[in-house]
Order: sequence, then C-alpha cells, then structure tokens
Amino acid sequence: MLYILILVISGIAQFLGPWWLMPIVCFGLCFWKAKNAKEAYGIAFAAISTLWLGYSLFQSFSSGGEFPLKVAEIFKLPNAASLFTAVTLVGGLVAGFAGLAGHYCRLALKP
Amino acid sequence: MKYIRALLSLLVAGGLTYIFSRPLGPAPALGPFFSPFTGFWQNAESVEKLPPADFKLQGLKGEVTVKYDDNGVPHIFADNDEDLYFAQGFIIARDRLWQMDFYSRVAAGRLSEVMGPLALDFDRYNRRLQLPEGAERLAESFTHDPTSKLIVESYSAGVNAYIQQVSYKDLAIEYKILGYTPEAWSPLKTALVEMVMRKDMNARSDDYRMANALAKFGKETMNDLFPDYPVEESPIVPSSTKWDFTPLAVPKVPELMKASMAANLDLEAENPGIGSNNWAVHGSRTASGLPLLANDPHLGLSLPSIWYQMQLVSPTVNVYGVCVPGWPGIGIGFNKDIAWGMTNVGSDVFDLFQIQFKDNTFKEYKYGDNWRPVTSRVNEFKVKGSPDIIRDTVLYTHHGPILYSQGQKPFFSDLPVGHALTWVGPVAAGNSVKALYLINHGKNYDDYRKILPYLAAPGFNVVFASNQNDVAITSAGHFPLKWKEQGKYSLDGSNPEHEWKAWIPVEQTPYVKNPARGFVSSANQFPADPSYPYYLGWKFAPAERGIRINERLGNMTKATPDSLRLLQNDNFNVEARRILPELLKYLEKDPSAKALPAYGVLAKWNLRNDPNEIAPTIFERFVKELRLAIWEDEFPTQDEKAPMSQPTRDRTWAMLQKQPNAKWFDNVKTTDKVETAADIITTTFKATIDSLTVKYGPYNPQTWVWSTAKGTDIKHLVPLFKSFSRMDVVNGGGPGIVNATTEAGHGPSWRMVVQLDKTWPKAYGLYPGGQSGNPGSHHYDNMVDKWAKGELNELVFLKSKDEQHPRIKSTVKLQR
Repeated sequence: MLYILILVISGIAQFLGPWWLMPIVCFGLCFWKAKNAKEAYGIAFAAISTLWLGYSLFQSFSSGGEFPLKVAEIFKLPNAASLFTAVTLVGGLVAGFAGLAGHYCRLALKP
Repeated sequence: MKYIRALLSLLVAGGLTYIFSRPLGPAPALGPFFSPFTGFWQNAESVEKLPPADFKLQGLKGEVTVKYDDNGVPHIFADNDEDLYFAQGFIIARDRLWQMDFYSRVAAGRLSEVMGPLALDFDRYNRRLQLPEGAERLAESFTHDPTSKLIVESYSAGVNAYIQQVSYKDLAIEYKILGYTPEAWSPLKTALVEMVMRKDMNARSDDYRMANALAKFGKETMNDLFPDYPVEESPIVPSSTKWDFTPLAVPKVPELMKASMAANLDLEAENPGIGSNNWAVHGSRTASGLPLLANDPHLGLSLPSIWYQMQLVSPTVNVYGVCVPGWPGIGIGFNKDIAWGMTNVGSDVFDLFQIQFKDNTFKEYKYGDNWRPVTSRVNEFKVKGSPDIIRDTVLYTHHGPILYSQGQKPFFSDLPVGHALTWVGPVAAGNSVKALYLINHGKNYDDYRKILPYLAAPGFNVVFASNQNDVAITSAGHFPLKWKEQGKYSLDGSNPEHEWKAWIPVEQTPYVKNPARGFVSSANQFPADPSYPYYLGWKFAPAERGIRINERLGNMTKATPDSLRLLQNDNFNVEARRILPELLKYLEKDPSAKALPAYGVLAKWNLRNDPNEIAPTIFERFVKELRLAIWEDEFPTQDEKAPMSQPTRDRTWAMLQKQPNAKWFDNVKTTDKVETAADIITTTFKATIDSLTVKYGPYNPQTWVWSTAKGTDIKHLVPLFKSFSRMDVVNGGGPGIVNATTEAGHGPSWRMVVQLDKTWPKAYGLYPGGQSGNPGSHHYDNMVDKWAKGELNELVFLKSKDEQHPRIKSTVKLQR
C-alpha cells in the first residue's frame, strides 16, 4: 500500500513541480504509514527507484534509445546501463533517507 | 536517543537533497539532472512529437500563426511587423536559445563564467579584440533608426517571452549539463552575435609574419615572392569592366618601417582560410529565361548549425531563408521578386601597429614628434568554480588596444607583443539589422543597392538576382581607404601617415551588374583586377574555386536548378590540372619514384576529388609537403623569434612552371649540396608516401581512399561534447575545390539554389545539421546525410497563411 501511495502521489508531485517534492512526499507518507525503519527506508527506496527507472526507460525507448548513450558518453560512463544505475541510486537514496527520516520523526513525536 | 535519531536522519535526508540540488564541481546537479521528470531524459524527443501547444504571451499585439513543415522549418504569419519579429525571437529561442546565448557569451568574453577556467584565455582575447565595445556601438546604432529599433526590441521581447515561460524540464541539455540558466536577451546581445561574425570573418592577420620576412629579405624579394595580384586569377568583377565612378585620391605611400620586435610566441597551425561560393546566372543562360541564384557560405561547421531556416510573413513582407540565431531578419534567402546570397570578402581590415614606448613603465608612446599617454582598462572575469574575480589590465593607444604586452602569451601565434590593433570590428558601425530589413523587403536592383551604406562589417560579396532579369554582385562593406600595401606588413604606430584616415565610398566598392558574360560569381577571390583604383589587400582566397565556377558557368546554356546544384558539388581539382603534369614530369625521371604505386594512381587520375578516389589523398598531402619543403628553410613558419609567412601556392607554382632554376628550391640547411627542383620534388614525394603509409598502412585502395582520409567533422559548439558531434562524415571535395569541405570541419554551411519566377519562385536548400538545437531531437542532424551526398531539399515557400500544403505538419498559435 505504502509503495503504491509513494508511487502515485510523488509521481503527480514530480510531474507538476520540482524534483525535491519527491523526498517531501516520501517523508510525509512514511511518517504516516511506515510500520518500522526497515520498511520506511526499503519501500521508499524501492518505490522511487522503480518510478525513476521505469519512467526514464519509457522515455528513452519512446525516443529510439540513442540519446542516453550519448549523455553517458559525455560523462565518460561506459554504457547506458551505468546511467540507469545512477538514476536508480540517486532517486532511491534520497527517497530512502527521506522515508527513514519521516518514520523516525514520527517515533520522536508520538511514542 | 529517539530525538537524536530523528534529527540525524532528517539531516541526512535534507543534506542529500540539498547536495543533489546543486552542481558538484563540473558535474550538474544530480537530482534534477537524473530525475526522469525534469532531467536530460526530457530532452529525448520521440519521432512523432505531439503537436506543441498554443502559447499565451504578453507583449503581442495580435495573433501569430506558426506552421511547421516536415523538416521542422517554422513559417510565421503575423498581422504586423512588431509581432513578426517578436515571434521570430520566440520561435528561434524554442529551438536554439542555448546557441544564441553561447554566441553572445563568446563575444562578451564571458564564456568562462559558465565553462570554467579552460575558456579564460579565449575570453581575455575576445575582450582584447574589443568585441564587447564594438557590440555597444552597434547596439547604439540600432536605436538611431526607428525600423531597426523596432526589430531588435520586438525580437528581444520575443526571446524573453520564451525564457520567462520555460521551466528546467524544457531547458536545453547544455544548460542542464553545464549547470546554468539563460539570462534575459537584449539588443546588445544581438549586437554581440554580429561581433562573433565580424571576428570569424575578419580578425586574422599576416602582418607580423610578413614584417618578419620583410626584415630578413628586403622589399625587392618581397615584391617578387609576395606580389599584390596573383598570376592566375579570375576576379569577381570581370577584367574588362569599366569603373563608372570618379575615385577619391588615394594617399601616397609613406616611408615603410624596418624594425620588427622580438616576440615570445607559442605557435599553432594557421587556419587554412577557405571561403564561400555564390553566383547568379542571367536569364539568357537559363532554361526558364529568368535568373537562377546559388549560394554556399563556408564556415566552421558546427552542431547546432550556424543557420536556421524560416519563412517570415507580415503585411509588409514574405521572405524565406536562413538566419543566424540571435540576429533578427533573414540573412540569406529570397522573396517573390528577388534572391540574394553572401560570401566573405576577406579584404585586409585588421592591422597591427608597432608601438614605441618611451620607457619600461609603458606610460607614454611616440606619435609624430610627441609622446602620448597610454591609457588602460581593467577587464574583469568571473570564472566558474572560483570565488575570485580575475582582472586583466589592457593598455590602450589611440590606435586601439595593445593586444599583448611583453611577457604575455598571445592567443594566436600570428599576434606579436607590443603592437596595437586597429581593425574594422569595433570601428565600423553600419546597421546590419536595417540592411537585412531592406533586402528582405527588396523588389528590384535599386532596392538591393540601398542596403550598401548599412553593411559595414564583415564585408560581404552580396550576389543578387531579380525576376526583372537583373543579376549583380557587390563586394560590400566599409573598407578603409588605404595607400598601396598599407597593412601588408606591420605598421608604424608613431607615423601618422600609417593610420586609417577615411573609408572607400560605399557606392565605389567593386560591383558589376548584368555583365556581358551572362553571370556573376564570387568565391572569395580578388574582388577586382589591378585596374580597380583602391587597395583592398594583397592576398585573397586562392583562385581555383573562382576559376572553376567561372569556367563552368561560362559553358552553361539552359541552366536549371539542378545544374547549379551539381556545380555546388563539383569536385574538380584546378590546382592539380595546373601543376600535376609538371610534377609528374619530374617524378617519371626518377625510377624509384616511378615504381611506387602512388605514381601510377596520380598519373591515371581524372583530377576529381571524388570520395572514392585515391589520388586526392596523395596529391593534397604531396603539394602541402612540397610547399613546406621549398619554403620552410628560408621562411620558417614555426620559428620562435620571427615566424614568417610563405609565398602563396599561386606564386609557388608559377615559380615551378617558369623559374625551375630559382635559388629558392635549394635547401639552405644542407650546406654540402645545392638542391634543384627535381631533388625537392622527388624526395618530398617519397617522404609523402612514407607518412601516408604510417598513417593509413601500406598502399591499399581501401584505406587510402579520399573519403576516409578526409572525412569531415561537424563538431558540437562545445567540442568536449563529442557524442553530440558528427565525426568523419563521408564526402568528396577539399580546400580549393568548389565543394570546399575539409577535415578540420569547414565547408558549405548552407547550400541554396533559387529559381526566380514572375509568379512564384522555386527554391532548394539545406545545411549540415537540423532545425532543432537539441541533440535528443530527430531534427538535430537530420540533414547531414543528404548534405554529404550533395542533395537538396525543395523549400516550402507558402503564398499565404491559408495555403494548404501537404508538407505542413503542425500549427502553433501565439496569442496575447
């Protein structure tokens, strides 16, 4: 459930606003829904990595797929796979820590 | 404990978000850059891009309709001129904003602000060339005329309307990678873009290298080896033409300066300096009975391309052609009645003055019998990644800035220290925006000549044709009125006679209308033969392209657009026709040279630099090496103390043909032997084959083929972005060939052929790039392959907003 909520709500937020709405949504939803620290971190990480990876894959396939390769080359990355890994990690890490922070803040405020 | 835990995790989450929101050294901000919602993924456009939405824009007076054709060319229909130029700015910014911004930063000397310290020397040089000061003058001159004022202000408002509504997600990929955002556009930035063109076309000089050669060999030898007019030439204005004006008195030649100053120079290869072609064929030689016009300006090829195609329509105008992003109006194009094109004149408008300082404090310099005070100016640079402001003090005389002082390293090797610069860039004003407005609206020959006072710099050979069956060409621009050979060598800054004092009247620059031969043409060669009363320069582009074009046009009857297209792609090597038989005569006498397979290839060559030929690979390298072998011993281009110019290839081949025993063939570095022409030619030939073997392996028709050896590179404006470039594009041609493509990435940057007509013209054209500046778009480089094959697109020239055309793919409305 938490997974779906993060996916949908953060998706809408990022579609309409800047990228940093994403950690705020993860923070809020984990504050509200996460049962423990592992879940907060894990589900937020998983939800955002799938969302970011899925959407970036969709965009690169719908445009023919060459463009990410060109961008990877500029950053001296060996292949497009490393670019997709970077996307997963950047999105996932920020989301995971934001989710964790949400859960811990809740524990701190409401024992 | 639980509070600490909460606080810590908040800090980590917040910290990560913060760090990923900011550029990390040279890397972009990772969060927004990688996010598929805003990052570079958004720049990948699908083939079937959804028709773009309509826009509500403040500043428009009425509604503007923009129709995009299948090549991504916008056709803009506005109800008034203000809206037209507003829309031109808005529409071009959608496709090319980063590029315009880049050009304006180049001329402003502000590239290092966004690119970092790598660009700092380039910035310093551009400021020392006074590009920003020149732009301020130009921007000022735009405001003196109500028409140009309206145009540049409306255009800026249109660009800014785009900037105001663009979000990070839709920014150009270059902004995202380099981590900065666009600044507001202004008429000054338009002027800065023009200064980039002035610099590219006019800001190089041989003066100092020539002065060094003069100091070593004396005037007599220089007159012999560096004549003021070539042996073989086919000038733009045909030789028999009578000048129908009374020329001004030309100043007398004053005493020349002898001394030449020592310089610490870091040498690099000179720009091969290739130019452009244009011509117009009178109706007496065409199938339709009305003129045809062709133009292919050669510039450094880049992605995004320097050109952008557009059709501009308002109640006062309907014009189609290409423009430079950032510069309003249409630069090269056609309307219902006329067509025009441009090539660089390349006259000598960049002179260096040797300055005599009173002492080592550099506070005063000699002028006439007096000492004048040196002034100074401090240029400030912000550099990406550095908190400090970098300051660069430049000394000024009344001639202009001292380009480099003792101990400073010049940006180009042909620039000496201790010399002041006078060049046309910051001095000539004119009003290019007004000039383009007038030619865009032109209906006949008289309208065409009206643009002359406004075209200042760079000087252009403006070719013209009308449906009243007039063809004409003018080497237009503001050219200093010089004494003979003024500026051939460095000038004496202390002698008042050495300065620029007046301009050649604009109506007296070389021109010709409807010559008897039935066509006009230019290929950057001498605008006129020595009967022209004014001195424009001693060296222009080599004559071969002009010779070939004039020969072929002279043989054309019933010409069609396709005949002109074929001529644009002509690969015939005029230099080889002139000198190869001579060279082969020497080689065949040497059994070991004759035995080489390369000899057979040259002997059987059809003299065409076609992509599948092998001979051009050998010939082009051979003649280049040969010229060095003949001259480098006496005229060292690479000498650290006194680098020199070398005689032109025209002079070299004339010497080989007529003075085979000239002393210059001897290599003065070998004291035990006196080499003859035969010795130099055969050893150089063998050495050429050796170096080709090192480069391409032992002789093999597959690896030595010209298309592989030459392969034209079309690089992104930031050469570091290699994957956004198109490398080794396969095509024929070469320097000195009508199809003037080079490995270094120069070549026809826009090919256009227009067939004039009483009712509606037909036109063809393309450039090696695409309409979109976005490397993630299918319109980024979609014309490159067709360009390499020498094909042209038929251009969609709509009669009105309501015309239904099968190639129109989408419509955008701009509303207030």
